[in-house]
Amino acid sequence: MTSKVALRVTVNGSKYEREVPSRQLLADFLREDLGLTGTQLGCEQGVCGSCTVMLDGDSVRSCLLLAAQVDGAEIVTVEGLAQEDGALHPIQRAFWEHHGLQCGFCTPGMMITALDLIAKLPLAEGSPELDQKIREGIAGNLCRCTGYQNIVAAVRAAAAKMSGQAEAEAGSTDSRESAP
Amino acid sequence: MSYMGQARPGLHNRRLVAGRGRFTADVERPNACWMALARTPHASARILEIDTSEAEAVPGVVKILLGEELARETRPLTASYNPERGGGKRLSFHALSVDHVHFVGQPVAAVVATDRHAAHLACERIVVDYEQEPVVTDAVEALEPDAPVVIPEWEDNLVYRTEYNQGDVAAGLAEASGTVSGSFKTQRYLSSPIEPRSYLADFDPYEEMLTVWSSTQMPHPARGTLSRCLGLPETSIRVVQGDVGGGFGTKSPGSSEEILVAYLSHQLQRPVRWVEERQEYFLSCGHARETLFEFDAGFTDDGRLLALDIRVTGDVGSPTGLAWVQSYVTAYCLPCAYKVPNCRVRLHSVATNKCGWAGYRGFGKETATQAMDRILDRVADATGIDRLEVRLRNFIPPDEFPYSQVSGAMLDSGDYPTAMRRLAEMVDRDAFRAEQEAARQEGRHLGLGFAFELTPEGCSMPHNPVLQGYDGATVRVGPSGRVTVLTGVTSPGSGNETGIAQIVADALGVRFDDVRVIQGDTDTCPYGLGNFSSRSLMIGGSAALEAANELRDKLFRVAGNALEVAEEDLVSEDGEIRVKGSPDRSIPIRKVASMIYTNAFGREALEVEPGLESTRYFRVGNVYHQPETQGRFSAYPTWPYMACAAVVEVDPTTGLVKVVRYYGVHDCGTVINPMLVEGNLHGGIAQGLGGALYEDLVYDENGQLLTTTFMDYTLPTAVEMPAEVITEHQVTPTEATPLGTKGAGESGIAGPISAIASAIEDAFPDLDLELMEMPLQPERVWQAIQAAQNQGAEDPGAQGAARPGASAR
Repeated sequence: MTSKVALRVTVNGSKYEREVPSRQLLADFLREDLGLTGTQLGCEQGVCGSCTVMLDGDSVRSCLLLAAQVDGAEIVTVEGLAQEDGALHPIQRAFWEHHGLQCGFCTPGMMITALDLIAKLPLAEGSPELDQKIREGIAGNLCRCTGYQNIVAAVRAAAAKMSGQAEAEAGSTDSRESAP
Repeated sequence: MSYMGQARPGLHNRRLVAGRGRFTADVERPNACWMALARTPHASARILEIDTSEAEAVPGVVKILLGEELARETRPLTASYNPERGGGKRLSFHALSVDHVHFVGQPVAAVVATDRHAAHLACERIVVDYEQEPVVTDAVEALEPDAPVVIPEWEDNLVYRTEYNQGDVAAGLAEASGTVSGSFKTQRYLSSPIEPRSYLADFDPYEEMLTVWSSTQMPHPARGTLSRCLGLPETSIRVVQGDVGGGFGTKSPGSSEEILVAYLSHQLQRPVRWVEERQEYFLSCGHARETLFEFDAGFTDDGRLLALDIRVTGDVGSPTGLAWVQSYVTAYCLPCAYKVPNCRVRLHSVATNKCGWAGYRGFGKETATQAMDRILDRVADATGIDRLEVRLRNFIPPDEFPYSQVSGAMLDSGDYPTAMRRLAEMVDRDAFRAEQEAARQEGRHLGLGFAFELTPEGCSMPHNPVLQGYDGATVRVGPSGRVTVLTGVTSPGSGNETGIAQIVADALGVRFDDVRVIQGDTDTCPYGLGNFSSRSLMIGGSAALEAANELRDKLFRVAGNALEVAEEDLVSEDGEIRVKGSPDRSIPIRKVASMIYTNAFGREALEVEPGLESTRYFRVGNVYHQPETQGRFSAYPTWPYMACAAVVEVDPTTGLVKVVRYYGVHDCGTVINPMLVEGNLHGGIAQGLGGALYEDLVYDENGQLLTTTFMDYTLPTAVEMPAEVITEHQVTPTEATPLGTKGAGESGIAGPISAIASAIEDAFPDLDLELMEMPLQPERVWQAIQAAQNQGAEDPGAQGAARPGASAR
């Protein structure tokens, strides 16, 4: 009853060639076919944002996309944020250290959204609108545990760290973080 | 160095940010089938016939289960606190209805198929012939003599009634120099954890073992429920809690889906899983809160409550909701933090054709707090006394604890006036009034409101398999000196495992990083009640403390032999046991552990029992189940509280409210980890803010739920939360726990409702606004402003007299 579609996709740097059911959601493909269960499904209605992944540099809701739609694309999920040796990405460290999570269910989607935000918005440190821009930027992701205050703090800290890191890299300094 | 008192992020944070959470929906079992449920579209109907022939023909369908088989093969679910015990109705039902449905979304059939889509397709092809019956969706109407009856076997819809009396309320009202009368209504809403519920059951017929992975807050009580319903011995069931993506009371045992998955796996002898869809969550998981308060309050000229007569009507929906008892708790808490010499509380818990109740953070305490706050604001307005001052005048004084409240509830400790006065300092009302005035000059409306929430924690009820005020913990020091703690309490993300590790590290004198905490597995953890009523740290942490203390004594005994000093002369810290006053004489704990494990017949360890493991159970203090006067009992050991204030800005042209700042002075006794307590408060405040301004489950008159997505049931996002949430702690330790800890998990949720309502009223000092119905969505606020403006224009001399539902004399 379901037709299959050929799919070539890069996920977290690995290339996959699969036949997928034409109606399969991207979220289900990631979770069930690739075993990448870090991406969570909170509503499957496109509202909560827990299933957010990076698609060619843009954050998208993997419950609103079919797997077949990402043919040829590059996807990054939460599992793709840390370095190969396990060293966490600055956004992950910031959420950890600032206690920007409680249950951790919305966290993968929240971090991907935050990364998209940091990459696209000039969030100059010390700017008075910084926190408001962060709040607006993550307003599409629901968290029921934290009240967002520590999430905003984590995103602010990660943005500062990443801009510092970018500068350091431009000056060809090794800025790789050691594992905790 | 003490770990207790330190701000430390959650122990699981690292794994969770890495995307390595292990939520139940992430668990894989080979060959697992999916369950889907056919749910009724009717709010009240008889089932005449169910035709499954077309559904059976769907490829991949393994089994279709109807209510008849389930009723034949299993025992019904019952409420842990059954109203029958207090003279009310008996609540008992099966997970699938047999011949009658009484709320939209009630399951009528379960389909098991090899994949999720086939299961859903088959559900759609099940044809049920219904005969619709009259519907009642309002609790007050449901009590009328000719109202449709929700459960056909019942004579009426009154699930439970009770009454508490103190003094003489009629005489008190007659004596009072003034009275206010009116009503306050809080809406129906729900906890909304972002992780949907999820269960996966796998029966192994050769081991005769049913393993259930569950998004539950309470693994052992869940095992007990499964055992009772399925008729399997508890030793043949293992419940494994996955990471839980938020619970807030909702993920309690006794859900229909948990029983169904377990039954079907046992029947089919293969893994069966169910993952809740968000719409199912809204329709059927369980609602909370919808309560009407009608009150008459009498007071003296100086604003002291002399008498309060309050009638509580809880709309508990379908009695298949096992957490109806939240309405009982509401009545039980009244009149909360206040001393009212003459008081009568009457409760009616009423069934309607809506979804039943599931536990939700606050568990009924929050509505009691909200009602009292709104009543005190009415008293303040009637007497002209400041709203904060009127609370100070009515608080239970700090020297009167333990204080027996009207219901028999024994309030353990507190200092409410000091918290409220500190809040006043933080808010700086003079500065706010200047800010308010300046804003008014620009045409902006700012307001300041107050609340005082009282959130009793650690619930324990007589003869109750779930609500018990004890818990167990095992502490194990291994041969290398590393520590494993196994607890009967669990964490739905609130972080109690981290606090427990801090307590154990301090008690043993080991490094925090050397402590590992394991929770949520009935095969490995000691029996315990799990997570509810903010009990995990204060009760589970106390059990772990006692077990760790026992091991420390044993370690000291062996260390004393090794160092040739008396045990009393030893201290431990940072993994070392040292002689007091002689810092050079010490022995690492790992060496002492090694003596016990590897040299059991040696001089040092010969006099102690081999092994380094202790399991202790802790029973919390200040709970009384031996009935005293009126057969009352005291269910809550600790009574944390928070003095709250909100600053809001209201746009009178739209009624839109923005919370600008929120303040709280919180007291949960001794704080083990301020970062986690603060985090809990922020989350509680956000949920309270949602309940104040946005969240509302709306039914139409036919009993159809109109709000079934996060698009129409709107949770606060980061934008709706105020930029400034400022909280402070006051520490009034309780004697009910060894460290003085009280519960902290539910705090924060009650205050915003009343503080925001109060602040909106304050934003319009020229109008007689009385916001006595929640939530305060723009339409309601706008209409209230319009009505007050019109009334002021028509009848400037008679303020308040024409207001519906409230009057002052």
